[in-house]
Parts: sequence; structure tokens; C-alpha cells
Amino acid sequence: MPNTLLSTLLLPALTIPLVYILGKKSPKAAAALIAMMCICDAALLSTTVPVIINGKGHIYVESYQWVPALRSSFTLFIDGISFLMAIVTLILMLAAAIFSIDYMHEKKGLAEYYALLTLLSIGLVGVFLTSNLLLFYFCWELMLLPAYFIIGGWGYREPYRAAFKFFIFTHAGAVFVLLGIGAIFMVTGDLDMFHARSALMMANPELVKWILISLTAGFAVKMAAVPVHMWLPDAHSEAPAPMSALLSGVIISAGAYAILRISLGTVFPAVMATDFASQFLHGLTIFGIMSAFFGSLIALVETDIKRIIAYSSIAHMGYVLFGLSLFPFQEATIGTVLHLVNHAVSKGLLFLTAGAVMKRLEIRDVREMGGLAGQMSTTAVSSTIAALSIAGVPPFACFMSEFLIFVGAFRTVKIDGFYTIPVAVMLIATVFSLAYSLRFLSHVFFGASKHDKVADVPLLMKLSMVFLAVLVVAFGVWPSLLIQFINVTFV
Amino acid sequence: MITLLDICLPTTVFVLSSILTIPAVKTIRNVRHRGNLLKLCWFSAVFSSAAAAVANLTLKYYSQQAIDPYVSLPMAGGSSAIFSSAFLVDAVSIYMAIIFMAVSAVTFMFSLFYIDSGEEFSERYYAVMLMVTGCVIGTVFAGDLLTMFIFWEATAAGSSFLVLYNKTPRSLHATLKYLIMIIIASAFIIYGLSVIYALTGTLNFWAAKRALMTLQDKGLLELAFAFMAAGYSIEAAAVPFHMWLPDAYAAAPSSSSAFLSALVDQGSYYVLLRVLIYILSPPTVLPWQLIFAVMSALTMIVGNLLALTERNVKRLVAYLCIVDVGYNLVAITTVTPLGIMGNLYFFLVGGISTAAAFMAVGILNRMGFKTLDEFFGVGRKAPLTSLALVLTIFSFIGVPSLAGFMAKYIVFTSAIEANLSWLAVIGVLTSVIQAAYLLKIVNTMYGKKPVEESKIKEPKRLLIPVFILVATLIVFGLYPAPILNLINPVIEQLTFIP
Repeated sequence: MPNTLLSTLLLPALTIPLVYILGKKSPKAAAALIAMMCICDAALLSTTVPVIINGKGHIYVESYQWVPALRSSFTLFIDGISFLMAIVTLILMLAAAIFSIDYMHEKKGLAEYYALLTLLSIGLVGVFLTSNLLLFYFCWELMLLPAYFIIGGWGYREPYRAAFKFFIFTHAGAVFVLLGIGAIFMVTGDLDMFHARSALMMANPELVKWILISLTAGFAVKMAAVPVHMWLPDAHSEAPAPMSALLSGVIISAGAYAILRISLGTVFPAVMATDFASQFLHGLTIFGIMSAFFGSLIALVETDIKRIIAYSSIAHMGYVLFGLSLFPFQEATIGTVLHLVNHAVSKGLLFLTAGAVMKRLEIRDVREMGGLAGQMSTTAVSSTIAALSIAGVPPFACFMSEFLIFVGAFRTVKIDGFYTIPVAVMLIATVFSLAYSLRFLSHVFFGASKHDKVADVPLLMKLSMVFLAVLVVAFGVWPSLLIQFINVTFV
Repeated sequence: MITLLDICLPTTVFVLSSILTIPAVKTIRNVRHRGNLLKLCWFSAVFSSAAAAVANLTLKYYSQQAIDPYVSLPMAGGSSAIFSSAFLVDAVSIYMAIIFMAVSAVTFMFSLFYIDSGEEFSERYYAVMLMVTGCVIGTVFAGDLLTMFIFWEATAAGSSFLVLYNKTPRSLHATLKYLIMIIIASAFIIYGLSVIYALTGTLNFWAAKRALMTLQDKGLLELAFAFMAAGYSIEAAAVPFHMWLPDAYAAAPSSSSAFLSALVDQGSYYVLLRVLIYILSPPTVLPWQLIFAVMSALTMIVGNLLALTERNVKRLVAYLCIVDVGYNLVAITTVTPLGIMGNLYFFLVGGISTAAAFMAVGILNRMGFKTLDEFFGVGRKAPLTSLALVLTIFSFIGVPSLAGFMAKYIVFTSAIEANLSWLAVIGVLTSVIQAAYLLKIVNTMYGKKPVEESKIKEPKRLLIPVFILVATLIVFGLYPAPILNLINPVIEQLTFIP
């Protein structure tokens, strides 16, 4: 089909008014419509699979006229990495929509909620599918608006405060991205990532260095790397659970994807030959270690159920940054992309289970929970799978990707002595992640029961959790299912 | 062939209808039935004939096959030509006339509903508004410095009556301040003009520019520049000459503020652009970039900081106008085709968004919400008005898919292109400050519990023009190509800058 990728963006856009109108009458139907939309969108995307797998080096591109005066066209493309990220977005969106039906049902203004959720999916899918930097920025900020209103409108405690923090931090990051994009336009006169890559090679390396720093700093804010992580714990813990799942699953992954695709993929080759290249990669390593340690340590002492998971997201973005810093090595990059996908599914699941627990108990302090395994068995099993995956225990999803990152790291050590200590330190950090995951599980689901007669959550919530849990196990046992996409497209 | 009549027709239509409006509205007021409909008919007739005049000029201009794209028409020939008024048509003036026409029609529609025609003297208000629109369009087609000065001062003088309309002590005070500033500004400008006339012997744009290019001693020109720059900066309200604007716009009725910010404010940037780029074009005539770069940085910083501490929402929107001056100055300072494109795009977007914000805030003010403390929970009480205000706010912040983003993007990119990266960095950092105080408004509107839970009936009629403007913001945010295509001929004509 000639307009496949455009349709994947138009489909949610056209669904928004339908969702809104339907949501006024029956919020359930609106959620079902979103679920349908996600499935159709995923099916549309899957039609490009043969091109991705078979077309060696050939990338599926669609281009439409948009703003000729700024030499920008509406260019969409897909390769294995984009495909995986877009699919995992749609999977989480599907789970979030189904989960919302029972989770949100007593809240007000659900028509708006579901409409915003659909709008969010355009931004999220668009970010992964476009190769035009201006369009990329459009989608990048389009994630922000609906997320702001969903956190603010349907969150807990002082939601608009958390939403405000989220908006200001990520917007401040985004303006640095904008500066970088403007500078790329100035240097190359082209806003297409792939054209810009070769054009930047001719540019002054000193300038390219600043473009790289500005872009990466901007993306790192979205990724919530330490020290620009401050927005994440508030936003993730105050948001309603489906939104937390999306935030932790895909929105912060988008930051990592952008570093991989734009900072490292487009701009980095131009400074590859200079001293700055290794300094830059080492810088990423250091920030990665800081994030991994900081996140894990706080997660170990935090008592709020959702904040534990939120800090664990910071820790995992630390692993991802570490993986990105090993960029020249294929295993590490494959591992990083794989980790983005696996972490998205596992963390999404973990947030949904936390939401399920909060829905039943209406408390947030893990010390007051306990013994829920007997009463909420489905939730407990899903949560255990998710937490163990987050901890990096085989055979669950995140084990394989962390393993690949470390394989890449060990290979790097042979060439670059700098990495010896970081690798050792990162290995220690994984122990912490096991520790906080087990602490989380033992506090919430095991031990003496402190609450009587807690019923398990309704069927649809269970269904969405089981759906993700199955995926976590499947990705863990059969990683090559995903790796085949990354392999063929890696440049 | 474009004749003098073609150029003068839009202005003439507005001025004539302005005179006719007073008896017309008075008569309509005496008709009991369907007064509103008749009024609407009268004004749509006015605006459609003016639009026809502009369209006629546009078509004639673009269908001509002249080598020189600048059509200059003096009123008198021969030796007295240098003293007579001259008119000029080029792509910029066509573009400005089109957007001024369109935006003034929408803001006028708002005033029509906002200022009740049953009120005494309301007909004079409409008449002055039409007169000011005519003068702004006259300014756009002016071909020499004196004609431009005269039309522009007429605009400014007319605007002061729009500020005064409520006749409260506050608005009297603000008008006085405004008038004093305008008089000082015009004194400065006249002084600068006389020096330029002494140096060149002409005030015609092209003749003056040609004469200035070959000038040996630039000392006197710098003096003239200092006076003119100060004068025009006062009128554009650039920091440190900004003090009059928040007072004037906050004291004026909201319909006036919307109209002034959309037309007169943008018109003053246009005048600045015309003088700085087309006459004193650097680097051949005078390298003035640094002064204006500093001034734009100051305007962005001071404007945003002042807005950060402001609690009165209408005044806050007035500060946004000042901030917009800063972004406009960034683009003018770059003196690149991309910068001018950004400028011209900003004239439209900035005008629309400030006008929409003033309108929405005006509606909320009428309901009794004035300061941030009173804005608690307004989002639930007046959902439609709040939606419009919030969308405008996001356009100001520069969130993509709203037109404000594209404007900021072009402006900052042009600054980087012109090696003014420091200005671009200041620009984006101040726009983060801007995001902070603007989001604070959104937070109070939606995040806080309202003092009382009653819902208020929103005036549907007033919301129509607001939503027209907001829709434009969304459409041109997603697909700016139509406007940029209109600007393109301007860029092609900018052959005299590198």
C-alpha cells in the first residue's frame, strides 16, 4: 500500500473526534475504539515487515509536500528500530486503554481523557516514524501536551503541580533540541536526518560538537537522566496508572531513541574522527552510571509504591545510556534497543499492577501492604513477572537485553581501557535492581496479610496485565523475535 | 497598470465608511427590530468592499510584467515631486495589507459584539476603529518617509481614543501617558527625518537609500539614526521604551486591546522593518545590528521577567506583546531572508495570538475574573473561553502544531544563521520562562478548586471571533505553507541584502 505510514498517523487523528463523541455517551465504547485503533494501526505497520526484513539497507520511505519554504517535507520512514518502538507504543496504548475502562470508571470527563490518550498516540508513533527533524520536533512536543493534561486532570494529590514540573523540564530540554535542529538547518540546509548526516561531515567539527551537546542534553531531559531527572518521580507517581505505564514505557524511551537516532546516528559521525568523540561517549557512560546508581539506591529506600517504580525507571535509563555510550559496538546497540522495548513492556506492566493494587487498597505506602498474593493472585503473578524482569532475572525479557549490553561492554573494554571500571560498577548496580525489586515484591505481595478480603481487580484490568505479562515472558524466551529486526537495520 | 486610485482605494474605503458610520449606526439604533442584523450588514459591506479593493490591487500587482517590482507613484510630478506624498506597492506591502485586512475584520467583529451599539458614543468607537484600520493600511502603502510618518501618527492618535473609550480615571491616565510617549516619539522621528532630508535632499525610500549609500561622512546619519531608532522603538514598545504599553492595553476595553495588539502593534514593527531593512539597510548604509540585538535581548529578558511577577491577567497579556517585540527584533536584527520571513510570519501569528488572548481574557474579565487569584477553576466554569485561552497560551509558549511555534522556530533559526547564536540562546531560555508563567495560568485555571461551583453562561456571540482566530492558529501551525507562499515573493525581492 503506498500510503501506509501516513495512514498510521491519520488513523488516530481521525479517531479523536469519534472517541470524544462516543466517550460522552459511553466511556467504555471509547476505550474499546482506542483498542481497535491500536490493533488496526499495528496491523498497518506490520504490512511493512517484509520490506524491513528483506530489503537489505533499503528503508521504506514516504514523502509528502509540507513546508517548502523551510525545505521541509512530511517525510515518514520505517526501519527495524522504528518499527519495534512504534509497535511497542501501540501495545502499551492498547493495554492502557483496556486497563482504563475499569480503572478510571468513576472519574469525570472520560471523553476528554480518551481523546487526549488518542492524541498522545499520534505524537508517540510519529516520533518514531519520521525522518524530518522539524516533523520530529512536532511529534516530540505533541507527546507533551496530552501528557500534561492527563497527568493534571486525572492524577493524584496535587496533579497539576507534577504536570507543571513535567512540562517545564521537558520543554526546557526541548528548546535545546530546537536550537540543535536550527543549527543543523543552518549548516546543512536540509532537515532530513539521512541527508543531514552526510552534509554534516563537511561542516566545522567545532560547531558540530555544540550541536551534538545541545541535542543530547535536550533528549536526556526527556530520558530523565541524572541530574535532569527531577520531573520524573513526581510525574510518574502522580499520573493515573495507565498514563504512568505510557510515560515510563515509551515517553522516556523516546528520549533514548532520539539520542540513538539523531545524536549518535545523524550528528555523531561528523565528529567521529576527533578527540571529542570518545569524550562524548565517556560522558554518556558517566551519566549512565550516575542515573543507574541514583535511581536504584532511592528505589531501595522509597516507600511510596509508585515512586519505587519511578526511580527504577531512572535506573534503567541509566543502563540505556550506558548501552548508548558503547555505540560503536553492535551487540551493545542491539542490546540497548532491545532493552528499550523490553523495559517498556515490563515497566508498563509493573505500573499497571501497582495501579491495580492502589485501586483496591487506596493506600500508597508499601509498608502498610502485604500478603496480597493470596487475595489478588493474577495481579501478584503479573507483578512478580514484571519485577523479576526489571531485576534482570532470566528468563524474563530484560535479562536478555542487559546481557547483550554487557557483552558489548566487555568487548569494548578490550579496546578502550576507560570502560574497565564503569563495567564493574554497572554490574554492581544490577545487584541493587534485584534488591529493590525483591523488596517491592516482598512488601506488597508476600508476608503477613494486613488487609482482609481484598478482591482481585475486574476482568478487563486482569486481561490487560496478563497480556503484557505474556509478552514479557515471550520476549524473554524468544529474544531473536525482536533481534531479527534490529540486526538487519543496524548501520 | 496600477494607478494612484488602486493604491489609495483601500484607505479611502475605510476613511469614507468611517465618516458614514456615525449617521448609519445612529439610524440603526432607532430601528427597533433586527438592529444587530442591520449593523452586521453595514459593516460586512464595508469590509467586503475594502477587501475587494485590496484584492484588486493584489491581482493587478501580480499580473504586471514589470522589470522593477517596486511600483512607486508620487502624487505630483516635476520639481515638486520630492515634497509630495508618494505611494509604493511591493510584495511586503501587499502581504501586510492582506493580513491587516483579515485580522482587522475578525477583531472588528469582536468589538461589534463587545461594545454594545446601544451605548452612547459607540458609533464613534466603530468610526475611529475603521479610521485607524485605514491609516494602518495607508502606512503600508506609503512610499516615502514623510507619508509613512503622517499615516503612522494618524494611526497612533486614533488609537489613543480607542484606549480612552471607557473614560475611567485609569484609562484617562493611560491615554495621557500613551499620548505623551507618542508625541515624544514623533518629535524624535521628525528630527531624524529632517537630518536625513538635509543629507540626501529627498525622503523617497529609494532615492534616500541610494543617496545614503554613497554618503562619505556617516556622522550625521548616525545622529539621525539614533533619533529615528529611539522614536520608532518607543512606538513599538521595545525595552527600555516599553512603559506605556501595559498601562494602555490594560486600561483599554478588551476589544480595543485586541485590535491594537493585532494591528497597531504589528504595524509599528512593520514601520521599524521598513526603515531599518529597506532604507538603512546594513551593511551598505549603516551597520546598526548590534544596537538592536542588545535591545531585543533586553526586551525578551525584561518583558518576560515583568510578566513573571504580574498577577493581573490582562496586564500579563500586555507584557506578552512586549515579549513579542523582542522576538520580532531578533528577526529584524538578523537581516537575512529567513529572518525577514520569520518577521513577516510573526506579524500575522503574533497579532492573531495576542488578539485572541485579549479577547478571551476580556470575556473572562466581564465575568468578574481579573487577577490570577480569581482565575481559580475558571477552566470548569467557562470551559469554551478557557479552551480558547489555553490554546493561545500554548501558541505563545511555542508548542508545535500551533502557529506560534513555527514563528519562533524561523526566528531562532535565522538568528543562528546570522551568527547571532547568543541571541537565539537568550531567546529560547526566555521562552522557557515564558512557558513557566503561562503554564501557571493554565494550572490555576484547571488545577485549583473554584471558589464557588456555579457555572456561568458564556456569551456565544463573542466566542465566534475568538475561535476563528484560534482555528487559524491551529491551521497555520500544522500547515504554514499558504502563508509562507505569500511571503515568498517578498524574499525574492530582497536582493539588496546578502
